[in-house]
Amino acid sequence: MTLLGRLKKGGVRVATAIAALALIFGVWNLVIVVFGLKPYVLPTPQSAIAADVDHWSVLGGLTLQTVEETAYGFIIGAVVGFLLGVLMSASKTVQRLIYPALITSQAVPIVAMAAPLVILFGFGLLPKLVIVAWVVFFPVVVNVLDGLAHIDPDIINLSRVLGAKRVRGFLAIRLPATLSPLFSGLKIGATYAVTGAVIGEWTASAQQGLGTYLQTANASLDTQGVFGATILLTAIGVASFLLMVGGEVLATPWRRRSTARRGLGARFRPSVGVGSAAGDVGQRTPPHPAAELVSSSGSPVPVAAGSGARWDPAAVTRDPATNAAEQRFGEEVPS
Amino acid sequence: MTTNGPRRSGDLVPPTDHRDPFASGPAGPGPRVVVDDVSCRFGQTLAIDHVSLSIGDSEFVSIVGPSGCGKSTLFNAVSGLIRPSSGRVWIDGRDVTGETGHVGYMLQKDLLIPWRTVVGNIVLGAALTRGVIPHDRAEAVALATRYGLGDFLDHYPHALSGGMRQRVALMRTLALHADVLLLDEPFGALDSQTRLDMQLWLLSVCQDLNATILFVTHDVDEAIFLADRVVVMSRRPGGIVADIGIDLPRPRGIDALTAPGFIELKRKVLDLLHAPLVVSG
Repeated sequence: MTLLGRLKKGGVRVATAIAALALIFGVWNLVIVVFGLKPYVLPTPQSAIAADVDHWSVLGGLTLQTVEETAYGFIIGAVVGFLLGVLMSASKTVQRLIYPALITSQAVPIVAMAAPLVILFGFGLLPKLVIVAWVVFFPVVVNVLDGLAHIDPDIINLSRVLGAKRVRGFLAIRLPATLSPLFSGLKIGATYAVTGAVIGEWTASAQQGLGTYLQTANASLDTQGVFGATILLTAIGVASFLLMVGGEVLATPWRRRSTARRGLGARFRPSVGVGSAAGDVGQRTPPHPAAELVSSSGSPVPVAAGSGARWDPAAVTRDPATNAAEQRFGEEVPS
Repeated sequence: MTTNGPRRSGDLVPPTDHRDPFASGPAGPGPRVVVDDVSCRFGQTLAIDHVSLSIGDSEFVSIVGPSGCGKSTLFNAVSGLIRPSSGRVWIDGRDVTGETGHVGYMLQKDLLIPWRTVVGNIVLGAALTRGVIPHDRAEAVALATRYGLGDFLDHYPHALSGGMRQRVALMRTLALHADVLLLDEPFGALDSQTRLDMQLWLLSVCQDLNATILFVTHDVDEAIFLADRVVVMSRRPGGIVADIGIDLPRPRGIDALTAPGFIELKRKVLDLLHAPLVVSG
């Protein structure tokens, strides 16, 4: 795509995003006008944001506190969820053993659980992290488990035919296969995480966060403050979600691109020319028909009688000039 | 022309000495692959019934048969993916029954890994076993370049056409450095034009490789066009009905498809495939 085309496409995207935001603001204002709502019942979004700006000296620190809880709790939940998913996929027995516990954990009302967590872990950061992780890990487990269960069985057969080692097979096939479902889980988890952090702050509030601010504002009938804090919390949720979308784009390039990224692609290119690489390894590698191809565009390779093609590494290294593949590399990889 | 007409699988002189199937073999290099009286049963279903087959070095053997005749089961047994209910599989004089990793096996689907590039998919065998070294990539690039995918080295599979994907899958199989290749209907999903191109391409690859190839297909033209021998299998339970030598001269081009000898062989194979009474004989 040309640069102009890309700019155009990007411009359209930004424009639609702004339009979507404007739509929310428009409907909000429309509701106020149509129903004649007073500012202490429903302030306009502009005034709520203005209140945020006015009180930013206080709200800035609180926002940071809530972001911290959300982020750490989210990371813990994501890691625990991912590991559980992988563990459960490894064995049907483990899965049957753990799955009921996981479902039960999500059936427990999170608000009810908050109080015992404070008794267990005190008023510090820990109970909040536990609550955030608690709501985040479940969608991650379910999605990772689903991703691992839905790998094409023929791909598993293929890796068996190829003689895959357990760890390498996991890293090359199973792990990347979890990426797309993992990010689906992370996107859901990212939006839940803020809710978890607010519930945590409501029940265990030694430190002030946006959740505690929301509670105070509510108690003092500061409607603008309530909506101001809510907008900030929403922004954290949306930002987390967008962060996950960005992560997904970076982690799964094959879903959007037709070729590997240049920086990434360089890893897949040999750092040395064909001939020299073949020559280096030739002594250790058993001769093979496929290897013979490396040289077959050059001079004919000596063939041992009656035993199929046998590859002479020397024939490759001695005759680099006529090797088309090698010339290609000579141009592309300066050495 | 080596053999003619219908014959029972038992006619195929399996090696009698099970410790060394080559001791009683003909002079010169022994058979690369020996399928010795293999049967596969899944529950109540007998998929293949006492199949014996011997394939010489650098031989290209096509296997044709009606749908569900156990062609793929036979390949699964030879590759070691499944252990036959009875019988043995020998490769290069070693008993490899139920062991994987001795042959290059290309399954019906291309099964390219979506997150690996063309080169990444070709070196998959190394990536799954000992780790990819620069030599593997160099070889993959050489293979892809030589066989018409030089401009697609960094492409992901979804950006390739069906024919290209099959070629990558075959290169992945070649890169395994296996002397014996099992190709299970590799061109079954392609349109007829692409299929013919791929057949011609495979013929040129075979000319370079000297590999021993077993090729399953349901396309009689394809079977004869590519092979040195065509093995005809019967309806389930699958057994070998005939083993027909293809004496068409090589190298073969498109004109071989309409040569009188080709038509005659095709008639013979079609008669065998569509004559159940002869089959059961």
